[in-house]
Amino acid sequence: MPIKRERLVPEGLLLLRNNILTKGNIFGASSKAKWASGLGLPSQKETLLFAGCGYQFLGGAEATLSAVRALDKRGLPWEQTLGMTSFLNKLGINLGELYGKLTHRARLSGNPLRNAVEVLQGMDIAFGYLAEEEPCCAAPLYYAGFQEEFGARAFETQRQLQERGILRLIGMVPSCTYALRELFPRFLKGWEVEVRHFMEIVWEKIKGGMQFRLPQEVTVTYHDPCVLSRNLGLTEAPREILRSIEGVEFAEVERNKEEWSTCCGGGGGFEVIFPEISHILAVNRVKELLATGASVICTSCPGCLIQLREGVKELKAEGVQVMDMAQLLRDALPEG
Amino acid sequence: MSKLKAYKKRLQEAAHDPQISIALERAIASYRKNVDEALKRFPHTLKLAEEVREIKKQSISQMEELVEGACEAIRENKGQAFVARTPAEALEIIDGIVGSGKLIVKGKSLTGEEIDLREHLEERGNEVYETDLGEYIIQLLGIKPMHLLAPAIHVPKEEVARLLSQVTGKNIPPDIQAEVATVRGILRDKFFRAQIGMSGANVVAADTGTLFQIENEGNIRLSSTAPPVYIALVGMEKVVPTIEDAFKVAEVTWRFAGYTVPAYVNLVSGPSKTGDIEKVTTYGAHGPKEMYVIFLDAGRSRLAQDPVFREALYCLRCGGCLYECPLFAVTAGRFGDKYFGGIGAIWTAFVTGDLAKAAPLTYSCLSCGRCKVRCPVEIDAPQMCLELRKRIAEGP
Repeated sequence: MPIKRERLVPEGLLLLRNNILTKGNIFGASSKAKWASGLGLPSQKETLLFAGCGYQFLGGAEATLSAVRALDKRGLPWEQTLGMTSFLNKLGINLGELYGKLTHRARLSGNPLRNAVEVLQGMDIAFGYLAEEEPCCAAPLYYAGFQEEFGARAFETQRQLQERGILRLIGMVPSCTYALRELFPRFLKGWEVEVRHFMEIVWEKIKGGMQFRLPQEVTVTYHDPCVLSRNLGLTEAPREILRSIEGVEFAEVERNKEEWSTCCGGGGGFEVIFPEISHILAVNRVKELLATGASVICTSCPGCLIQLREGVKELKAEGVQVMDMAQLLRDALPEG
Repeated sequence: MSKLKAYKKRLQEAAHDPQISIALERAIASYRKNVDEALKRFPHTLKLAEEVREIKKQSISQMEELVEGACEAIRENKGQAFVARTPAEALEIIDGIVGSGKLIVKGKSLTGEEIDLREHLEERGNEVYETDLGEYIIQLLGIKPMHLLAPAIHVPKEEVARLLSQVTGKNIPPDIQAEVATVRGILRDKFFRAQIGMSGANVVAADTGTLFQIENEGNIRLSSTAPPVYIALVGMEKVVPTIEDAFKVAEVTWRFAGYTVPAYVNLVSGPSKTGDIEKVTTYGAHGPKEMYVIFLDAGRSRLAQDPVFREALYCLRCGGCLYECPLFAVTAGRFGDKYFGGIGAIWTAFVTGDLAKAAPLTYSCLSCGRCKVRCPVEIDAPQMCLELRKRIAEGP
């Protein structure tokens, strides 16, 4: 009895699922590539930047989650708000896009994807971007328990990428990168696309002699996204990158680092199931990070970014900035 | 969705209860410090833990045979042994031994908690005392435990003083030393007047039929020794092939529970006996004359057959994972049913409940994976939670 079973899946996850299945992105938006306007990225390249939903809709996601949390905190049925989202969608009004538009302009300059593009270009890496054609990795389906649907989407993604002769992907979102690198081989036959995370590519360039330099000295701590540290084992690169940047005083978070790092509270879809508790966990994590005395909390995941920013806001930690690694690297990119 | 809503409400209340987060913050800090020190002083533990994972893996793949072997060994030792397939069967066996109107002293037992043993015995007209200090407080409060090893982890000393003053009719100060002494005074008499003692076991050796009990207070030792009848309720998954294996499992369990060494490790293999008069073996010397061991299945054999989830049976119940769970840190036992945390979701699905009951728990797991880093036997609870979600969303 599939209907009854579905009732056991939290509504927030069902909404993400519905968005992926109908619109090909977690946000249910009709456009995902607005962030890249004016960049002129080619679509035909063997290496692609895989931007991922989390970063493409960062501003919108931040605004929506914030609204949902405000409702959840007051014990109001926020799921119905999400329900209304799909109702409005049917009428052709996209709430997420609306939010996105409101925050789009403000965030364009600090947009981690635009920053990553500049960094990659600054390192002479040739890559393309599929823009509206970028398939969704569909990882939220996997996390919600809909593995068959995830497998079917993965199959479709493989077909699309094969057709275009894609050999390599540069992952940005940790969960997309994990899905493409670790889950796809489990669900597909003949998946041979090489998937690397953005930070791995940067670290390689730095090892090759490239030098990043910040205009002024700052103390930076690093928050390990769970998927990067515990699922993909990527703990050395971010630390080595930060240590190598001139002007960065790297302050390690004690104990809760690397494989012991504390979750930001947004793992496994938790923030769309228990938005308010998720907020409490974010605050707890930010407290640990603030204990380092750093003025910049650096991370490399859109989910963590949102969570940590909310935590910093809640704690009213003045002068503390949460930055994506791409953003920090862009600021430290050598001129010319 | 109403079940999830009700659960979420409890979770949210807990998350806003400063008593829980403050108590947990302290408990987590001291646990981490203790386990670090214990591992530093006994560095071989990590290697031993790898061995224990292998022992558990082997044991679960032959669980039925091992339980059968343990039963035979216990009978050989003149104890009585049973396998109960369901909680109802276990309670029926226990009723047959206990009857009603008895005074019972009980060591803390999660397996007992699993089948609501104390409540059942009380309903049958018995007077039951939990003798673990924390569990005794929980019993007085009439609530459910919040942690495997520290059930009253969220109750401050002021609250304990209030409770004990009520029980004794005296004014007990909120002083931990005085509180411990008071409980000792209350329970001392019960141990020796009780007709029946009960406890669980941390690990059981199939070859000798020996139950291992790890403890610090000495209450299990008294419960299993002072009364004339002793009953142990043990999950089937606790049995390992040899007494040598059992020592390894026990050592890893207490070390990951944060102890260099516990005050007591009891090894109980049969009823008390003496041959001191004319070399004639006589039972019931200083300890119990009768010993009963009940191995509880209640879904464990089904779980042992499941290739995806059987790993859940490797759990030693050291409680280490809970101290690493960011959600447990603010909600304690509210993130759970009879068993807590991510691993608790799996146990709820197979042992104490069903998929519907496990759904809210498995969707509470952050899948952050830090519990797995702590787990001495590397149980991948987060991955199992995701697989459980698959069963929930797609069906078996």
